[in-house]
Amino acid sequence: MQPELEAFLYEAEERYLSKEEIKNFQENIQLFKQRLATYENLREQEIEIFQPVADKLLAKFPEDNPKILEKAIKHWLSVMRYGAMAMLLNNPEYFQRRLLEWLTPTIKANQLETVEKTLYDLLQKQLKEALPEEQLTLIQPFLEQAKISLLESKLSDVGAKI
Amino acid sequence: MISVADLINENKVTGNYFAPDAYVQGDFELGLIENRQGSRLIALPDTLMEAIYAGLEAELGQASGVVLFNCGRWWGKNFYRRFKEEVSEYYEQDLSQMEMVEFLQCLKQCWKTHGWGVLDLDFNYYQQGFLVAKVKNSAFACSAPQGKQPVCFAEAGILSSFFTQLTGRELHCIQTACESMGAECNYFVLGVEGRIKPAQAWLEEGQDHLTIMERLSQNT
Repeated sequence: MQPELEAFLYEAEERYLSKEEIKNFQENIQLFKQRLATYENLREQEIEIFQPVADKLLAKFPEDNPKILEKAIKHWLSVMRYGAMAMLLNNPEYFQRRLLEWLTPTIKANQLETVEKTLYDLLQKQLKEALPEEQLTLIQPFLEQAKISLLESKLSDVGAKI
Repeated sequence: MISVADLINENKVTGNYFAPDAYVQGDFELGLIENRQGSRLIALPDTLMEAIYAGLEAELGQASGVVLFNCGRWWGKNFYRRFKEEVSEYYEQDLSQMEMVEFLQCLKQCWKTHGWGVLDLDFNYYQQGFLVAKVKNSAFACSAPQGKQPVCFAEAGILSSFFTQLTGRELHCIQTACESMGAECNYFVLGVEGRIKPAQAWLEEGQDHLTIMERLSQNT
């Protein structure tokens, strides 16, 4: 469950919530609805978002083995799926533990950073077209998190250095 | 042309099977913990670990190391079987077909999630026929008695039997540095028994991990 909503359960242990808190609660529910809508939107548009990204990626790296590009795209399909769930749960730790920690060494070992960086930029552009502004704001922190973890960390930061 | 729809249909899982919050499930009321597959896990409290070390020491003296090593071998044998089963089922491919980096990730993450410490493998001595395993915050060292010799025999046993089964060659394992002796982390060297045997004598002389590795490499 959402940490903010959970907090209200603890707050209301032996008293009624104050007006202020109820208002706050409503806002959180509203926000949760938006998160759910964003999630659905990402789910519905998965192929519409990724196909143009794949085409543009192929155009930018015509020399590269398509298998490599496919691999990179698969990584980001997972990033979006896990990221969308993390956004729904509002839980960056979930994202980190279930996927990012796991994926980082694979990307480094395959030396995919350049391809994946380009892919990230293309994906960002595509998302701007696919999602309304307020939904984009919701997913953005998680994309940022993925970028920092997958593309900017040194090997030693993820404990993969030998 | 890359078809995203096809990629999605391939549907290969890329997530972390051993993520601690997903892998370890528990029922506090019944006091049971189990893994994602529903197999029971056992929690070893520090007190029990300390008692195992102290009890074996009192009963067997010096031989306790051999006993722990053999327990580790037995444990490692089953650990390998379960690891192989779980990983190949979840990722829908056999261990031997996995990419090296993915396999290593699985092993490291599995080690960590079970609470045994942070495992890392060093392939620098691979050409000479040795594999070095490094474990930080080892669970086997933290409750062990402090002494002049490495004491994580159980851990050495697990590693030796895991890699024996993985490589199909009988491999022995000797611990060359131990957190219980104040070292930064545990070091283990794996290799064919005849080749790594001299390490034992150097260890008794009080040589450190790097010196031992250097001498082992020169010995080839």
